Amino acid sequence: MSNRKPASADVLQGTLDLMVLQSLATLGPLHGYALAARLEQVSGGPLRLNMGTLYPGLMRLEQRGLVRGEWDVTDNNRKARFYRITAAGTRQLAAEKAEWDRMAAIMHALLHEQA
Amino acid sequence: MATIREWLNRLWGTLRRTRADRDLEEELRLHLELAAEDARRRGDPPDRAARAARIEAGGLAHAMDELRDQRGLPWLEDLAHDLRYACRMLAGNPGFTIVSILSLTIGIGANCAVFSLADALLLRPLTVPRPAEVVTVGSIDRLWGTTPVGAGLVASYPDYVDLRDRARSFDGLAAFTNMTVAFGTSARSAPSLAGSDTLPRPRLGMLVSGNFFQAMRVEPRLGRAFLPEEGQVPGRDAVVVLGHDFWEQEFGADPSVVGRTVRLNGIEFTVIGVSPAGFTGLDQHVRFEFYAPLMMWPRLIAYSNVHPLDARDLRSVVIKGRLKPGVTIAQAQTELSVIASDLDRAYPVKSVTSRHQSLTVRTELENRIAQAPPNAMLIAMLTTLAGAVLLVACVNVAGLLTSRAPVRAREMALRLAIGAGRPRVIRQLMTESVLIAVIGGVLALGVGYAGVVLFRQIRFPTDLPIAPSFELDRRVLIVSLLTALASAIVFGLAPAFQATRAELIAVMKAADAAGPGRRRRWGRALLVSGQVAVSVVLLCVATFMYRGFRTQVDRGPGYRTDRVLTMTFEPSLVRYSETQSQQFFQQLVERARRAPGVTSAALASSVPMNGFIPLTIVPEGFRFPAGVENVTVSGAAVDEQYFDTIGLAILKGRAFGATDSAIAPKVAVVNEQLARTYWPGQDPLGKRFRLNDSLGPLVQIVGVAKTAKYTFLQEPPKSFAYLPYTQLPQRRMVLLAESQSDPASLAAPLRDVVRGLDANQPIANVRTMEEIYRMRTITILNVIIGLVAALGAMGLGLAIVGLYGLVAYAASRRTKEIGIRMAIGADRATVLRMVLRQGLALASAGLVVGLLASAGAARVLGAMFPGGSTREGRIDVVAFLLVASTVLAVTLVAAYVPARRASRVSLTEALRYE
Repeated sequence: MSNRKPASADVLQGTLDLMVLQSLATLGPLHGYALAARLEQVSGGPLRLNMGTLYPGLMRLEQRGLVRGEWDVTDNNRKARFYRITAAGTRQLAAEKAEWDRMAAIMHALLHEQA
Repeated sequence: MATIREWLNRLWGTLRRTRADRDLEEELRLHLELAAEDARRRGDPPDRAARAARIEAGGLAHAMDELRDQRGLPWLEDLAHDLRYACRMLAGNPGFTIVSILSLTIGIGANCAVFSLADALLLRPLTVPRPAEVVTVGSIDRLWGTTPVGAGLVASYPDYVDLRDRARSFDGLAAFTNMTVAFGTSARSAPSLAGSDTLPRPRLGMLVSGNFFQAMRVEPRLGRAFLPEEGQVPGRDAVVVLGHDFWEQEFGADPSVVGRTVRLNGIEFTVIGVSPAGFTGLDQHVRFEFYAPLMMWPRLIAYSNVHPLDARDLRSVVIKGRLKPGVTIAQAQTELSVIASDLDRAYPVKSVTSRHQSLTVRTELENRIAQAPPNAMLIAMLTTLAGAVLLVACVNVAGLLTSRAPVRAREMALRLAIGAGRPRVIRQLMTESVLIAVIGGVLALGVGYAGVVLFRQIRFPTDLPIAPSFELDRRVLIVSLLTALASAIVFGLAPAFQATRAELIAVMKAADAAGPGRRRRWGRALLVSGQVAVSVVLLCVATFMYRGFRTQVDRGPGYRTDRVLTMTFEPSLVRYSETQSQQFFQQLVERARRAPGVTSAALASSVPMNGFIPLTIVPEGFRFPAGVENVTVSGAAVDEQYFDTIGLAILKGRAFGATDSAIAPKVAVVNEQLARTYWPGQDPLGKRFRLNDSLGPLVQIVGVAKTAKYTFLQEPPKSFAYLPYTQLPQRRMVLLAESQSDPASLAAPLRDVVRGLDANQPIANVRTMEEIYRMRTITILNVIIGLVAALGAMGLGLAIVGLYGLVAYAASRRTKEIGIRMAIGADRATVLRMVLRQGLALASAGLVVGLLASAGAARVLGAMFPGGSTREGRIDVVAFLLVASTVLAVTLVAAYVPARRASRVSLTEALRYE
């Protein structure tokens, strides 16, 4: 008995994927909380991901074979699930980054021409 | 790619939890702990930290839900859950389960059986790729148009050439004609299998235009198909493609057959290929044995006076082709009409029969229906009856579900109360219904198979590979499952909606969900009466047909069927000229008469029930309606002893004699029906008719024969004319020989006679008249009656279950009332009568409605089988009485058993009953 809702109201689904992949690509393996903290930090605060958005998102990426999660131990000896970007994830990131840049360029040109 | 992978992973996650709940929870818990630590480190005030923790904890449950949904496929999990639950429910109520599954098995099975019949006779697509595109083009076959056999679409070869070159609506138009040839393997290259038999044997094949395989998109299994140039020069390219089955049976699937030489009617043909497995030609009943170019037609016909490729009025090819993508049937028809009127202008009409104007395009199904209207009608009737049985079965299951509703009302209310949405609960109930239906549908294949076994008794009396093929194939399986799903909706949806409409509070309070409303019980009573009515109609139809057929079988066909052996000869297959053929026939019958054991022997162009010649005649003095100048009747070419040998009475005048030779004036014997139709109230002897048209040869009537049955036992009286075979020479003749005892014993001496005349003469279709009669009539009737009777019995059986169920249910609802009545002095007999009366009221209402409907059905049946399955139009009172008393007796028992049980209930128990 499910009550399905869109994954998140404030973060576009594709955007979240892109952010997660990019973070993992630059910082290496991270656990969920560290990822959330990183995104919050990068955004300067406003981007607070709740668990109901972040973890299903990670699971979806894992199901698609773009990231891989494994239990490991943190610096202060806590068991945590670390996510690492896969080869397919790296390819996907490159593709989506290019697409994002293209879109952003179009949007930029459009918005600033009209202004 | 990635998405497919996600779905596969989720599917896997549904089947086997990929990550346990605990694993997920642990990950989330760590997240919360780290968040709390961070908060402490930042030095948030404790109360704010606590509030944040509470909010986050709520988030935990929500996040777990989201994760579970992401892990698997929620709807699949729901479905699995519902299925598990439904299985438990069915296992927990074996009585309900068995009765409902059995009901549906019967209901769906009846439809499977009828579908397999319909598929074999009408529906099965052609064995070519994308068969739906293939249409038939041609003129309505007027020769057959006036007979009840139905009319296909035909064309002449010159018409075909014009159509092929002019019509733009089609993507390749192919022409073909069916032909039987004497097929032999030439001595030097004869393989061991076929070589053992040096006698050429009749084989059925298709002569096809050069583009045939290409237009039908059929690729040969071996070798090549015909080249376009092989469809251009008459008589040049003697090449042949073998049918796949024929190749396997006769050549042991030997691939080196390509390039070998075979003989068709004595002409050497080179084998160039083998058709692919599964392709059987373009007739649903025939598995063609070879394919040869239509251009070889003139050479394969031994008689020199026929020019099939040049004669514009000889319509004996069939044209099939594919519509171009995007072209509709209506557009194609418009184009054809234009071409038809052009053709009419270019080739002025000689007579009404050779007019082009009826150039028509039909889909394969339309064409099959037009060719055999009786089949289509039979199937329509059987489908209706089987549908009625299924309806009765569905009503049963719906009734059972409804009577379970009060028991389950609390469960439903509970589910609704704890927050399951109504659609969700309905979905769960429908899962149960679909499960019942699918189990029933699978078991129904058993019933369908019984039907197939029954139908397989139907065979045609021929040596050629012509047989309807009844199969329990994938198509039947699909029909069965679709029928099951449809019936699940019919019987399941209403009870499901009703069950979830429960008023929560009332239901939760009441001990047993209280009685159903008056309306609901009325509804069910109506349904049960309806069931009885439908089964009455089914039984009446079965009884009408059975009694009607019985009478006709008893009355007989009008000629002898015992003690006669028949065998067929076609000497032109071994290159006899017309004169040689006639001589052969003459010598054959003379020698047969002297053969040991033969009391009398005769020749006929065909035996009754197994073919006839269409004779177009113009009766002198008969005024046709405007635009009509002749009529086509059935006929036969026979010799002077035919009437004696087959025991057909000559009522007036004489039979043929030795004096009616080829050069003598033309004479005919007609049947009473023909005499009565065209010379009403006059003496037919001495009357004359012309053959073909108003310019044709005159024929004088010298005798009148009794009207018999010529094609099937149910046919209405049919006009029939006999001509001496000397005056109407035929290529193929049947020898009939009468014996004193077992006709089969004549086979050996007659074979000796043939060998004495020509050792190479093929003998075909050696059968007793009784066998032919049985195959063409009795078996088919038995199969139809058996099927209809089975449908009737199924309907009645199901209605009884319904009635029993309703009476038992109503009695159980009234247990307390019965207890009170008994407490205030009612005895068992009174209670018994009370419950019984209710059941009988329903049954009688159904009976009356059913009998009225049957009277209507009798009329429809009478129209469908004008030969009189309904005893010549009179209402069959006996049948009505039989059915009425049977139904009454059976329903009485069905109501009595539960009524008796109700009356036996002990007083204390009844009063305590809630």
